[in-house]
Amino acid sequence: MALPQSLRTSVTPLELELIASEQLVEIVPLITMEKTAFISGAYGPLRPPAKCRIPLWMATNLKLKKKCHIVPPEWLSADFLQERLAKETSRPEFSKLPLRFAEIAKVILDVASDDVQNADKIKSLLKDLREARQAKSRDGLQKLDHSELSLPNLCSMEINEIRPFFIQAMGILTQLDREPSAE
Amino acid sequence: MDIDGDDFFTNLDRPGRAVNNNAFQERLRQAPRDEEDAAIPDVPPFMLEEEEETPLQQLIRHWMNERHAPDILSNEGELLAGLLDHIRSQSETVQLLRTDPSSSEEEHFRIMLVQTEVERVKFIVRSYLRTRLFKIEKFARYIMTNPEVQQRLSESEVDHARRFAQLTDQHFYHAVLQSLPETQQTLDDQPPFVPSMITEPDKTRGVFVLARQDCPPVRLPDGTALEMRKGHISLTPYSVVEQLITRGEVELV
Repeated sequence: MALPQSLRTSVTPLELELIASEQLVEIVPLITMEKTAFISGAYGPLRPPAKCRIPLWMATNLKLKKKCHIVPPEWLSADFLQERLAKETSRPEFSKLPLRFAEIAKVILDVASDDVQNADKIKSLLKDLREARQAKSRDGLQKLDHSELSLPNLCSMEINEIRPFFIQAMGILTQLDREPSAE
Repeated sequence: MDIDGDDFFTNLDRPGRAVNNNAFQERLRQAPRDEEDAAIPDVPPFMLEEEEETPLQQLIRHWMNERHAPDILSNEGELLAGLLDHIRSQSETVQLLRTDPSSSEEEHFRIMLVQTEVERVKFIVRSYLRTRLFKIEKFARYIMTNPEVQQRLSESEVDHARRFAQLTDQHFYHAVLQSLPETQQTLDDQPPFVPSMITEPDKTRGVFVLARQDCPPVRLPDGTALEMRKGHISLTPYSVVEQLITRGEVELV
């Protein structure tokens, strides 16, 4: 078949990671490289120790070959995440985080945890954040009806997680709503 | 082969892409650098939106739209052709530099990166086309009975839909239908109280939309209006946001 069954209703976390890897991150290169034209744009020149912005996939590639250090984005710090977690647990709404924070954090912590300060602390904070937000999105199910549900500041990975269930629930609500008028 | 190695990839920049490179330069300038003390913007940089969408980002957006939308969306032939051309020219350069024994180690490294990107883009192109192919085969009869839907498809896609519909029709006829009474041989009955025999996209299915800009109000099934500001995320039936997707004001996530 043109599209495997598992890909028909949703996208996979790996596909989301692929998309997130297009975003630019800052690196400190350990090699020199001239400015190079890529399909997504021209990057470089790399001149150690000057910082440079390149796509995350390229940074991962360089990092795995020990040819650069990744400078984690500002939000990937223990202080920032601690503050967001405090907001997350004290207020009813979702706190503002980059749309693809979960994917980017995962990629960076996987390949470059030595470039991140307090990597272990950040990992546990991300986990706490995730749990706090998960509980909120489950509560959102109560408000679901057949027409609309606003989910401000929800992140792409979280959307992907609740998608199958929420869409099915909405489909059933739509059916229930349509039936009385059809009679 | 005489190649000015250092500038080869750089020279590949074609005039058509000048705008995007400028946007890139712009971002570069905004990025804090060691040698210049750039002013720190009020908003943290990660909250800043990308001003200019590169062709690849556009394709990624259309790819995700296509994956999430229950209906088949407009064909992005021009965008796809541009990217395929770009893939081809990058691959040719790689081939050229690879066969050149004089290229340095740094050069090999750049070749590897360029090739990695080409593979990434190819994956997205393939996945996008396969998603469309899946929908074309699923809705083949629906597409052939609706000239309005055919306009959203490329010529070869309509052709495929036509042949696919014919083949399945023939198969059903030879396998079963020919032995049924004549009144029951059709494949497009619309008897009351049961779903139509033609598979149609379920436009009431919920989709998650992200507003790319402030949108004009849309009407919800319960009669109220929804006005989405930039960055708003909503779960709503596909039919509500169908127009907004076509105009590119929202994207599906």
